[in-house]
This record gives sequence, C-alpha cells and structure tokens, in this order.
Amino acid sequence: MESRIIKPALGVYVALFVLFLYGPFVVLTIISFQQGPDGGPQFPIIEWSTYWYRQIFGLTPPSRIAPLPFGEALIRSLVLALMTMVVSTVLGVMSAQAFRRNFKGSAFVFYLIVLGMMVPGVLTGLGTSLLANNIIGIERHWYTTAFATHVAYTFPFAFLVMLAILNRFDSSVEEAAWSLGVDPWTTFRKVTFPLIFPGVLSAMLFAFTLSLDEFPRTLFASGRDQTLPLAIYGTFSVEIHPNIFAFGVLTTLFSFALLSVYGILMAMSVRRAKKMAMQEDIA
Amino acid sequence: MTSTVTIQQRQSKVTRWLLIPGIVWMSLFLVVPIAMIVYVSFWTQTTFNISSDPTLASWKQFFTSDTYTGSLWTTIRIWLIVLATTFIVGYPTALFVGLFVKSKTLSTVLLVVCVIPFWTSFLIRVLAWRPMLGKEGAINIVLLHLGIIQQPIEVLLFTELSVIIGMTQIYCVFMVGPIAFMLSRIDRNIIEAARDLGAGFGRIFWKIIFPLSLPGVVVGAIFVSVMVLGEFATSGALSGRKVNLLGNIIVTQVGSLKWAMASVVGVVLTIVMGIVIAGFLRIVDLKREL
Repeated sequence: MESRIIKPALGVYVALFVLFLYGPFVVLTIISFQQGPDGGPQFPIIEWSTYWYRQIFGLTPPSRIAPLPFGEALIRSLVLALMTMVVSTVLGVMSAQAFRRNFKGSAFVFYLIVLGMMVPGVLTGLGTSLLANNIIGIERHWYTTAFATHVAYTFPFAFLVMLAILNRFDSSVEEAAWSLGVDPWTTFRKVTFPLIFPGVLSAMLFAFTLSLDEFPRTLFASGRDQTLPLAIYGTFSVEIHPNIFAFGVLTTLFSFALLSVYGILMAMSVRRAKKMAMQEDIA
Repeated sequence: MTSTVTIQQRQSKVTRWLLIPGIVWMSLFLVVPIAMIVYVSFWTQTTFNISSDPTLASWKQFFTSDTYTGSLWTTIRIWLIVLATTFIVGYPTALFVGLFVKSKTLSTVLLVVCVIPFWTSFLIRVLAWRPMLGKEGAINIVLLHLGIIQQPIEVLLFTELSVIIGMTQIYCVFMVGPIAFMLSRIDRNIIEAARDLGAGFGRIFWKIIFPLSLPGVVVGAIFVSVMVLGEFATSGALSGRKVNLLGNIIVTQVGSLKWAMASVVGVVLTIVMGIVIAGFLRIVDLKREL
C-alpha cells in the first residue's frame, strides 16, 4: 500500500527534522572546545581544548578576554526561580482546586489566568515598569517587580497542569474522608495532596524552568541587578567568545540534572502510591 | 435539606477564598500593567521626562514615521512567514509521531527528543545560529564539502532569512506538540473504514486526518503567534539590527527613556495580538480542547 512508501519517507523526514532541531546545539558544543584564549566563536577549530570551560571556573591565568560576569546573576536567577516556583505552584493548586466546582464567572477567571501566558513578556515587563516607575514611584528589583511578572507568567502553567490532574481525580476518596468526619483542610493534606503530588511536581518543574530562563519580562522589570538571561543578553552587544557557548553547554547539563531529580522524585511518589494501594488490598 | 444548603454555601465560600489570591495577582500584575501601557501612550514626552498631560503626539508620531509603521508591517510579515514555516516543517513530524508510530513508547521518546533542546537557555540557542549560518559557518562548510555550492552563501546570516530560520527552529516544536496530540486521538477505525471503502491516502488525509487535526493546528498557531509577535531577541541577535520588529522598537524606546513612544508601540502590539488570538479562538474553543 501507499503507507509503505509514506511511513519510511516520513521517518526520514523526522530524522532530518531532529537534525535541524539539534544542529545549532551540536555546533555550539563543538565550538565550546575551541582553542583559547585566541580562538574565536567560529570554524575552523584551531585546536581542541577545554580552555573556555576552565575559564568559567576561574582556572585559567588572566587573559585579554575577561571571564563571564555571571556568578551573582546565576544566584539571583536561582533564588528568583525558587520564589516563583513556590508562589505560582501554590496559586496554581488553589485555583485549580476551586475550578473543580462550577461557579459563576468561571470562564472569565479561566481566561484571566490563561492571559498570563498569552501576553508577550515585553508588554508585561513594560507595563509593570511603567506602574512601578511612574505611578507608584518605587525602584524596580528582580525580587519585587520582576518577581511579580514571573509569577504572572508561570502561574497559568501551574494552573493548567493542576487542572488537568484534578479533572481526572476520583473525588470519592475525599467524600469518604468527609463522611468519616475529617475536616476539609485535613482531608486536603492527608488525602488529596498526596494523590495530586505528581502533578504538583510537574507544576513546580514548569514554574522553575520557565522563570530561570525568562528574559523579556525581566529585561525592563528587574532594574539594576541583572539576572542570568540579562547577563547573557549583555554579552550580545559586545564581542562574543566561545566561553558563552561553554556556559550554554554547562547550563544544559544543569537542566538535565534538574530533570533527573524530577524523574527520581516522580518515580518515588509513584512507587509509594503503588505500595499504599497494595497495603490497602492486603487489608 | 437545610444541611446540604449550608454545605453548599460553605463550599462556595471556600471556592471564593481559593480564587481570590490568583485573581488579585493577575489583576495587579497583568491587567493593571496593560492598562498602564494604554494610559501612558497618551502622556506628554519631553526629551528626558514624561508628564501625565494627555496628548496624541506620540500616536501621531507613530503613524507618520516610516520607521514605526514599517516595523508594524515587518512584524506582521515575519509572523505570517514563521507561522507558515513552523506549520510546514512541523506537520509531517506531527503526522509521523501522532499517527504513523504505533508504539506508545516510541512516540513518547520522539516527543521528548523534540523537547530536549528547550533545556538550553533561549538566548544561547539563538546565539548558536551565528556559527551555524555565518559565511564560514557550519552550513556553508558542509555545502562546500558536498560540492553543492562553489561559493559560500552570504545571505544566510544577518538578514531577514536568518531571523526566519532561527525562529522556525526555536518555535516549530510548539506546532508539533498540539498537532501530534490531536492526531493521536483520531479513532483508527475511521481510517480503516475509509481504506476498506477504497479511499487512497491522499483522500483519507484531506477528508479525515487533516480536518480532525485542525484544532491542534490552531492551538499550535496560537502558541507560535504569541511568541513570534512579542519577539525581539532573535531579530536583534540574528539580523544585525536590520530587522526591527515592534518588540525591538519597544526595547530601544525604553532604552532611551521614551516611555510614551514605547507605550504606543505596546498598545499597537496588544491590538495586533488581540485580533490574532480572537481570530484563532473563533475557530476553536481552547478551554474544551485542553
């Protein structure tokens, strides 16, 4: 049949697609091993070396190329991502929990929340800066104005993840707890939360990674002290060296480490849920 | 009877308290800032200062200057092109992942493979296109070695083309995901039935597969539109400041403290965005599809 031609053809296409997707990253990794400090961010590779990686960790003698000024920015970004993660996950769980019941104006509230991921970051950043600068008259900081815009961006993601989880949630276990006289808050803590925990983890992961890499919102709203994406953006305007590519490889590896932690936590919570189910069966 | 009423009342009270923090946050840090942009776009701008005296000066300046109106058209042109390229590049992949791959594991693996590049910082992903597209970049090296070209292609970097290539790569996955999701939900029996009745693949595709995948296309198009319309980093880094999107104008205006002009451009961008999203939402009900 025709599908005998179409399927392999599409398979080849997907291989090319993956090449297109990964091409820049492969080139970036190759160039991060360029000779230093004289090699530029382009082909050909003069000599393979780990110079730029050593430079990031301060292991090279000073040269005409300054090391990337990323240390403090990295810490700020991590703190900001943690703050954002906690607040938007809490907001996401609360709102999604409310959406389990029908209420008047639910469509309006839904679109109000989802709007946060629809509005371009450059606009939220601009608006928040205008508000802080010209109306309230406060200074902009990464932990105030930028933090507010980050949550307004990641909260919708956490909300949608929790909504998807709670839509499939079997509420008879909660009703069982209520009928046994357990109050709603204890029920939520002891029954609902453990069951939706995998979703909470996903919401946290979403919020953390989106905030860590968030750039347009932070550009206007963060004021004087830069976060990591802003520091990277700062290198755009000056000459680019392979150290920025080495840094890109390292942050990607860090992301994978983060993903592994998420995977382990997820597997643990699934295993615990299974164990509990088995104990119930025995009882 | 009375007890159920009180339980319902208590529950709606709980619902209200669960919703208030989220609503307050989104109103204060999303709705009010956007309203601010509209408000400030009518403020009076002097060289170093801005005052709240209402004026249409910035608006007039926007519509009489070729730089500003030009950037509006550039934004719309780039948006339409990238929408088309992400769709063309993404659809066959989605078709393979969502419909042709029988094993659930393989399709999950393929989707994860598509998502992995997102773990590299967005700005570094943009920057990585420079050694890829440059005159001595990877693409030219490979093409020269293969003997396909004799001279390196120079229009690849610091042109509108490089912005389009970069954006296509960065955003095409947002097309693949929703389309593959819709395709995977198609009841295979319908396709079997059509085949038994003698329909060829082309006919099955246009009459069944494509129409059923349309909500996915629309959701993907919304994602891509939202991100491309608000872009400025890719165009800034890959066009050598030749391509000025509305986002780029906002950044330069804020950089020179021209808040009123930045706000006018912001309002224009909001309006464009609103029209685009409203248009897409007329085709598909987002809340139902999610």
